[in-house]
Amino acid sequence: MAYELQRQDSHRVYDYIEGDGYPGDQQSLRLRRGQSRMSNQNYHQYNWSSTPAEQDEESSSGPPRDLRSIPMPMALKRATRQVQQMQVPVVSRRESWKRKKTKSLLKLKHGIREFLYFFSLWRSSLQKIGGNFGGGVQSYFLFLRFLVVLNFVSFLLIAGFVLIPSIVFRHVGSSLVNNTGPEECMVYDPNPQGLVVFYSYFLDLLSGTGFMEYSYLFYGFYNNTIVVDSNFSYNIPLAYILTAVFYFAFCLICIIERMGTAARVAVATGGSAVGNYSLIVFIGWDYGCLGDRATKLKQKNIHYRLQVDLEEERIKKQAATLTSAQKIVLHSLRVFMVLVSSGLIVAAFYGIFEATTYSQVNDVKGILGLIFQYLPSIVITAGNFVVPLLCDQIALIERYSPSTTVIVALLRAVFLRLVSLGVLLYTLWSQITCEGGSDHTNNKCTLCQYDHMTYQCWETRVGQEMYKLTLFDFLINIAMLVLVEFPRRMVVDNWSNKLAQWVGRQEFVVSSNVLGLVYGQTVVWTGALFCPLLPVINTIKFFIIFYCKKITLFNNCRPALKTFRSTTSTFFFLVVLTFGWGLGIVVMIYSLAQIRPSMSCGPFRFLPIMWEIVPTSFYNLTKTTQEFLFFIGSQAFSIPLFVLSCVLMCYFVALASVYGKSVALLRAQLKLEGRDKQFLVKQIEQFTRKQIPNQHD
Amino acid sequence: MGNKQTIFTDEQLDAYQDCTFFTRKEILRLHGRYHELAPHLVPMDYTKEPDCKVPLALIVNMPELKENPFRNRIVESFSEDGMGNLSFNEFVDMFSVLSETAPRELKAIYAFKIYDFNVDNYLCKEDLEKTLNRLTKEELTPEEVVLVCEKTIEEADLDGDNKLSFADFENMILRAPDFLSTFHIRI
Repeated sequence: MAYELQRQDSHRVYDYIEGDGYPGDQQSLRLRRGQSRMSNQNYHQYNWSSTPAEQDEESSSGPPRDLRSIPMPMALKRATRQVQQMQVPVVSRRESWKRKKTKSLLKLKHGIREFLYFFSLWRSSLQKIGGNFGGGVQSYFLFLRFLVVLNFVSFLLIAGFVLIPSIVFRHVGSSLVNNTGPEECMVYDPNPQGLVVFYSYFLDLLSGTGFMEYSYLFYGFYNNTIVVDSNFSYNIPLAYILTAVFYFAFCLICIIERMGTAARVAVATGGSAVGNYSLIVFIGWDYGCLGDRATKLKQKNIHYRLQVDLEEERIKKQAATLTSAQKIVLHSLRVFMVLVSSGLIVAAFYGIFEATTYSQVNDVKGILGLIFQYLPSIVITAGNFVVPLLCDQIALIERYSPSTTVIVALLRAVFLRLVSLGVLLYTLWSQITCEGGSDHTNNKCTLCQYDHMTYQCWETRVGQEMYKLTLFDFLINIAMLVLVEFPRRMVVDNWSNKLAQWVGRQEFVVSSNVLGLVYGQTVVWTGALFCPLLPVINTIKFFIIFYCKKITLFNNCRPALKTFRSTTSTFFFLVVLTFGWGLGIVVMIYSLAQIRPSMSCGPFRFLPIMWEIVPTSFYNLTKTTQEFLFFIGSQAFSIPLFVLSCVLMCYFVALASVYGKSVALLRAQLKLEGRDKQFLVKQIEQFTRKQIPNQHD
Repeated sequence: MGNKQTIFTDEQLDAYQDCTFFTRKEILRLHGRYHELAPHLVPMDYTKEPDCKVPLALIVNMPELKENPFRNRIVESFSEDGMGNLSFNEFVDMFSVLSETAPRELKAIYAFKIYDFNVDNYLCKEDLEKTLNRLTKEELTPEEVVLVCEKTIEEADLDGDNKLSFADFENMILRAPDFLSTFHIRI
């Protein structure tokens, strides 16, 4: 049957009618949309009118592309194409020039995209991971890649503005501020005297003391120099502080930019995901799934997701039918469990406090000394391992719905990890500034405003703690891989014991791995001010962890049945990362503005607080620059700016809500139109039925 | 790429290139795959447009389709006789629609065809039940199956006729961000 393609100005619409339809009447229905359609009894499902965007005379590159997107059988497409080829397009010169330009632009775009693909880190690995283990696991690795790139770019920033100038200007330049403090505070002796045992180098590497302490790794090595030349000046303390501030701002911008993409999708589709069940049924199956094992897994996965949703329905129904007495019992049980879990977490915090206090005071040498130095890290890691296990048991008693359980467990784990780091830092600080604690002898801090006996250079000590945390985290990861996961796999595979089969292979749990990454990154953020090379150490650490996790994923793990919803998970990871960033910035602000920098080391050694360098250097700027900056800081500028940004924010919020409402409105309109159509079709049926008996008369 | 191949004329290759989302190389590779499905049936020389069809049983044994629970429906949707015997034109068409660059609307049309088991242009309860059973390898209890089908229709049905027409299906599918990536077979 021949097709009649009628091209008009309107854009392409597919109309689908049932069965044979009533051509004439249907056409009158659709006339109000201003199209004509063609009928074809053979191709019974789809009637459509395909109309390219431009006129006949200007048949542009439109038609060939249109052919590909048309649901016609191939033979017919080729016939249509032949017909099209026979029509010679008459085109103005300007039009043909425009067409050539668009074609070359498209080619350029394709070329750039292919080029960027080549540079995209680990692209093929990520695809393989996603294909075999699903979107949830892949989102963990995507997050890891984001952190590696972020840390590397931060390192370039720090190297460019702090490290390289420090190296270049090490022996050049003059001291910025002259010493004004008592002599005892300026004693700093990082290298111990006398013969050092050989293995102490190894211990020093692990704890950041000895030969590593007085190096570019830590704050104490940087000098308080300013280099002034005829047409060039470089103020190292100012560079140090501004780089630190900018580093935080840069990380925040990167995180928000990544969050923005996920949020945009959520706003445009009007909020919640459309229909869980329909999506699972129709989109759940990945057609690219290859292999018997992956297929079986996918089936089990879909089965599990449906079961989870059904379970949630059941729990909701059950919760609605509880009597008030049962409700009271359940709620009081939940409150009690919240108290129990909080108690556990507080106990962990107390343990960290004690461990930190003990490790700072002790001065034992050798392996035992190393263990004492690592005591805070050990306690934190143990707490992070034990407390979530106990909280999981608590969650069984609480009987929330599955999704709520997951969220509650995650929030508890996040709170535990980040606040335990905060407790460690708070303990350190209270020791450095002699606030409270067990020693009531305040004369330790009256001389230099910090404890100069125990901490000759307290910033370096804090940096060393962060360095130890990072290193310990890395070593634990490797140790788990080698000592737990590989042996577990070998035991399960080769020992057909019932116990071994019940334990089973390792499961790759996305949430706890992500929390590990967030913890590691938070440690880097809190320590970056005191240990400028920490971002590059972290880059290397995360880089190696990527390969370790990949190896363990493919060799030791069975894919988790309980999948993490990948669409929301990226957003959630970034929110948790922002919490970590918040902790880092609190630490930075406190160090910059509250504590007196040590007088014996570092770029801020003679200033009352670190931030002092900025106003001091400020007055060295030219008069006009000073006035300009004063103006920006003054009320005349900042208040209108604030008002303007509030207005902009309100505008965007209103826009977002309008989009959501218009999506809901359009959905409702679609429903009404469908019902309209049904009603009219029924009317037509009735009408025709009445007609036919009449005709037979 | 400058090899003289005798399988297709240049004009045929151009036609295929315009009508599908494949390049010339990929079309020749597809012909190789089509040929190895039934070497005695499929001629190497396609310049005269031979009229041969590979039966369904051979096509669903391809490694890309072997494990897919919907393999029979996929092949049937693209065959003109509705029995699943594909000529080379239809073979190429099938993989073109399932390729990475095919647009959403096109994929939605064929996805609807695939899930419509009784070919009545609606996704009714029986179609959904069959889909669900193939997806979960019949591990759901009958009550659960009925419940999930009810919920699916409830979520997607816009005109209230208790079955999903193409408009309902398209509306639901096009809002899902994962559709393009899952409805995709690499060949």
